[in-house]
Amino acid sequence: MTKLAIGLLALTLPLAAAAEVESYNIDPYHTVPYWETDHVGFATIRGRFDKPTGKFSIDRAAKTGTLEVVIQTATLSTGDPDRDNRKRTRDEHLRTADFFNVVEFPTLTYRSTAVKFKGDDPEVVEGNMTLLGVTRPVLLKILRWKCGPDPRTAGKRYQCGGNATGTFKRSDFGMKFGLPTAIGDEVTVWMSFYGFRT
Amino acid sequence: MENLLSNPAVHAGVAPFVVALIFVLLLQHMRLGGLAVVAAFCTAVYFVAGFTFTPLTATRKIILLGFAAPIIGLLADFAFKPTRIGAAVLALCAAAGALWAFWPVIAQKPAAEAWLLGISTLIAIAFLVGFALLYLAGDSVRAGAAGLGLGLATGITAILGASASYGSYGIALGAAAGAFLLPQMIAGKKSFAGATFTLSVTLTAGLVAAGAMILAKLAWYTLLVLALVPVGARLPVPGKAPVWLQAVLLSLYSFIIGGVACALAWRFPDGITG
Repeated sequence: MTKLAIGLLALTLPLAAAAEVESYNIDPYHTVPYWETDHVGFATIRGRFDKPTGKFSIDRAAKTGTLEVVIQTATLSTGDPDRDNRKRTRDEHLRTADFFNVVEFPTLTYRSTAVKFKGDDPEVVEGNMTLLGVTRPVLLKILRWKCGPDPRTAGKRYQCGGNATGTFKRSDFGMKFGLPTAIGDEVTVWMSFYGFRT
Repeated sequence: MENLLSNPAVHAGVAPFVVALIFVLLLQHMRLGGLAVVAAFCTAVYFVAGFTFTPLTATRKIILLGFAAPIIGLLADFAFKPTRIGAAVLALCAAAGALWAFWPVIAQKPAAEAWLLGISTLIAIAFLVGFALLYLAGDSVRAGAAGLGLGLATGITAILGASASYGSYGIALGAAAGAFLLPQMIAGKKSFAGATFTLSVTLTAGLVAAGAMILAKLAWYTLLVLALVPVGARLPVPGKAPVWLQAVLLSLYSFIIGGVACALAWRFPDGITG
């Protein structure tokens, strides 16, 4: 009887460990990656991408996690969609090979390599960003993090949400147009995110 | 100095012109003045994008083909006699090069659009290279005037087509052709263009214009009009006119056709039906 109990316990241990890992699908409607950079040395210009997809997972006991985000670069917007009396909008220019080259590189991806915790919450995500076909490490700092039942579904759905930020040099990814003075090299990303537990 | 070097007019115009002029003055007596084109193009590439070739994008393939053109041109000039068949072969090779550069992008487009972009590119590149080698390579003033008109028109239409970097490359090619013409105009004596100059300027400008169509917003018919710019430099001028006057008249003819392309890009930024 004791042997049977030990055997059953041994069988359920991996299941218990697996149960510690929570998986989430990113909510594309409430996850918005914003970015900002210097514009001709006078002001900061901001833009965003719409409807990113992806997933993340978290294991609070083991203090590990993963993150994967896929962004469609053609969704880029800096709030300049209409030409008015101009030949081109800023957004159209940003989509060409001068900048995001959305025809050749329709996606921008971020994949984590490690997640560091502060207490029970993830604090820093280390990972690789692939932009314009070039992959470079980019660190995301999680500024805000909260998990709990989604009040919009009367608690039927469980979610995590928060804000994250990071910086990178666009020249590291081969995006060199407008350097060194017209458009800034350092880009700051601000991302508000939500994920629904699967 | 830093402000000067970060000025787009320096990247696209002044620096490529100065570098090209130095090349022309140093090399024209060895019949190598055509290398001014690649020197000017290199200068613009250095300022605009740098010499990175991974991943190998369409733009980087254009740059590589722009670097390869004078090598092939030198071979054609010094190892072979210019013939109609040779010009046709180089025109086909240029079209094949364009296909290599743009096929991965064109293949992602809907079928009708892919055909339109692909056929426009092949016709424009093959015509530009074939016509220029057949009818302009033997006359350095005509070749220079064609390069000047084609480069500047390519640059302006590319900017109107939403690609400032392609615009810089086009204007740099025009600046190179200007630097190629200037010493001839001052000295009153024609130099040697050959395939080294003609292939370099027409292939690179054609690829830049096609890139502005495929990767930005230039309309397909604007590309086809750009391909006709060298025809302007083939129009008759008084044979006994001084070199400077021939250069001015032929450049003017090229500008008129290039101006039509610019007007189309200005008036119909999304195409006539768009």
